[in-house]
Amino acid sequence: MTKILSYLRDLRHGRTVVIGVPYLWFALLIAVPVLIVLKISLSEMETTSISSMISWADGWPTLKLNFSSYLFISGDTLYVQTYLSSIEYALITTIICLAIGYPFAYFMARSPKHLQPMLLMLIMLPFWTSFLLRIYAWKTLLVSNGAINNVLLALGIIHEPLAMMNNSFSLLVGMVYSYLPFMILPLYANLSKLDLRYLEAAADLGTSPFKAFWLITVPLSKAGIIAGSMLVFIPAVGEYVIPELLGGPNTLMIGRVLWDEFFSNNDWPMASSVAVVMILLILLPMALFNKYQSEQAEGKA
Amino acid sequence: MATAPKAKAVREDLLRVEGLTKIYDGAVKAVDNISLTVTTGEIFALLGGSGCGKSTLLRMLAGFETPTQGKIYLAGEDITHLPPYKRPINMMFQSYALFPHLSVWENIAFGLKRDGMPKNDINDRVESLLGLVQLTKLAKRKPHQLSGGQQQRVALARSLAKRPQLLLLDEPLGALDKKLRESTQLELVNIIEEVGVTCVLVTHDQEEAMTMASRIAVMSEGSFMQVGSPDEVYEMPNSRHVADFIGNVNIFDGVVEVDEPDHVTVRCEECVHYVGHGISGNTGMSVSVALRPEKILLSKNKPQGEFNKGKPQGEFNWCEGEVIEIVYFGAHTTYHLKLASGLVIKAQELNSTRDLSCGLTWGDRAYAHWSDLAMVVLTQ
Repeated sequence: MTKILSYLRDLRHGRTVVIGVPYLWFALLIAVPVLIVLKISLSEMETTSISSMISWADGWPTLKLNFSSYLFISGDTLYVQTYLSSIEYALITTIICLAIGYPFAYFMARSPKHLQPMLLMLIMLPFWTSFLLRIYAWKTLLVSNGAINNVLLALGIIHEPLAMMNNSFSLLVGMVYSYLPFMILPLYANLSKLDLRYLEAAADLGTSPFKAFWLITVPLSKAGIIAGSMLVFIPAVGEYVIPELLGGPNTLMIGRVLWDEFFSNNDWPMASSVAVVMILLILLPMALFNKYQSEQAEGKA
Repeated sequence: MATAPKAKAVREDLLRVEGLTKIYDGAVKAVDNISLTVTTGEIFALLGGSGCGKSTLLRMLAGFETPTQGKIYLAGEDITHLPPYKRPINMMFQSYALFPHLSVWENIAFGLKRDGMPKNDINDRVESLLGLVQLTKLAKRKPHQLSGGQQQRVALARSLAKRPQLLLLDEPLGALDKKLRESTQLELVNIIEEVGVTCVLVTHDQEEAMTMASRIAVMSEGSFMQVGSPDEVYEMPNSRHVADFIGNVNIFDGVVEVDEPDHVTVRCEECVHYVGHGISGNTGMSVSVALRPEKILLSKNKPQGEFNKGKPQGEFNWCEGEVIEIVYFGAHTTYHLKLASGLVIKAQELNSTRDLSCGLTWGDRAYAHWSDLAMVVLTQ
């Protein structure tokens, strides 16, 4: 009896350790940094350092919260516009990724079983090269004396170089190119599991293949569409490298503003506030997604 | 055995299949030159083990597979190359394939909406079908919120919604547990009878085929072995394969000794069979004698030769063996008897009283005997 009890105790300890590792990871690498950012955003910038939140006056600790950065953000149209245009670019990226990724994933899921691992490999292949390098490569393709313009000029299709660089076109090309795999993979995972008998049943009941796609395949892949869209949209909102390298003066994105606040203006509380607002903007769709997923899970129980 | 009424009077042929063949990868003959006709109102069962081609045949009727050769006619019209969504045929899928994102109501209405039926008519039709399968209260549920039996009824309602000329049932009860299957079988047949739709059903379960169908085709390796009513196929199998596949059977190998128009005798190693009718064979021919376990009687004493037709007592239709296995089923008990030749035969005794009257136990010597009309002589 005591043996069994001590075994159970050991089991419980073991479980604590196993569950503890990811919790520790989350605490150290997510919760603590976010709290630090939150703390900085509520502090005040003194010439070289950040003001302490707790000051000791008359022997009593006084909590000093400084919301001026948040007020400034909400009052300044530039910030509001930048947030809006970040969301707009992220949304457009998501929609284009979905439009390209869905057929892509669909044909991958329908291709012969022995070809599918190879197709998946081809999707993953670009990741073997540094992300930064690939973005630089796009630069050389898109600039006015770049490869694409040169070829088009040589063929006589255009007579002067197309302005494809440092504008919203180059930004979207870079974003769609970088995030497309994140759309394709969850869609492929979802579509390859689709039971083809549903399509047979639809055909049997008088539905043409085209209609069956919209009535059966698309609704049944909703979870994949949502997962892929989230994976593209969320990181796209805060993207910094692509707008920095491929964007232009008119492509406002919040990632660049953040960088400016930190490194040019050296205004850490302001930069932190910008970051906190961005996290909140991203949390909203995340929360919606989770709610949808839990509803789905509930329905299945 | 069959509860379904036999095809009534003379009815027109609804489905006609001519020389249908399906070859996969240029070599594997899944369906081999099959011809059949199904008359209006009939329930026709394709019965066979896995890989016998019954599902491929059904899928060709539905339009999901293109035949390599042959023609399919429905009410006289060639539908061989019509896509599934243009055929007036509906199918109830194995494990149902109900659309998981649609409610019961929407599942049933799915086919009607595609036909562009007016909304009111769809409402009426779906309501009446829900009533027919007794699911009116569950109309708003999603398929995963239903039990297996309820899903089966939704699937049936969905496949009947468009009033198909021909209904295909693919293992209609395969996903249900045994107890539920028995009650559902009759319910399913009753609904089909009520609607009056012609059915082709595929099953590997001979009991399902026997209870539901008015005609059974026993399939093996892409061909029909025998086509007939359930009792014909059971009592008059035309080959060892069919006898073996449908129900349990004891098979004796022997040679025809006496061949008269009104009786034959077959000498086997174990015993001599006296068969009370003529056969299409001749003296000296090698044959198999199939004898069903429920037609064998067991006793502890040597039988009195009641089936011996005035022949020397005790010569025909009995054998002696040792009880090596007793399997109790409740309603009946199956005894396995090992004969001197090494052949093990099964005899099924009805437990008509509560004190297992046969009184045989493991290791006992027992005599098995049977009537002159109990067995079938198989020439192939």
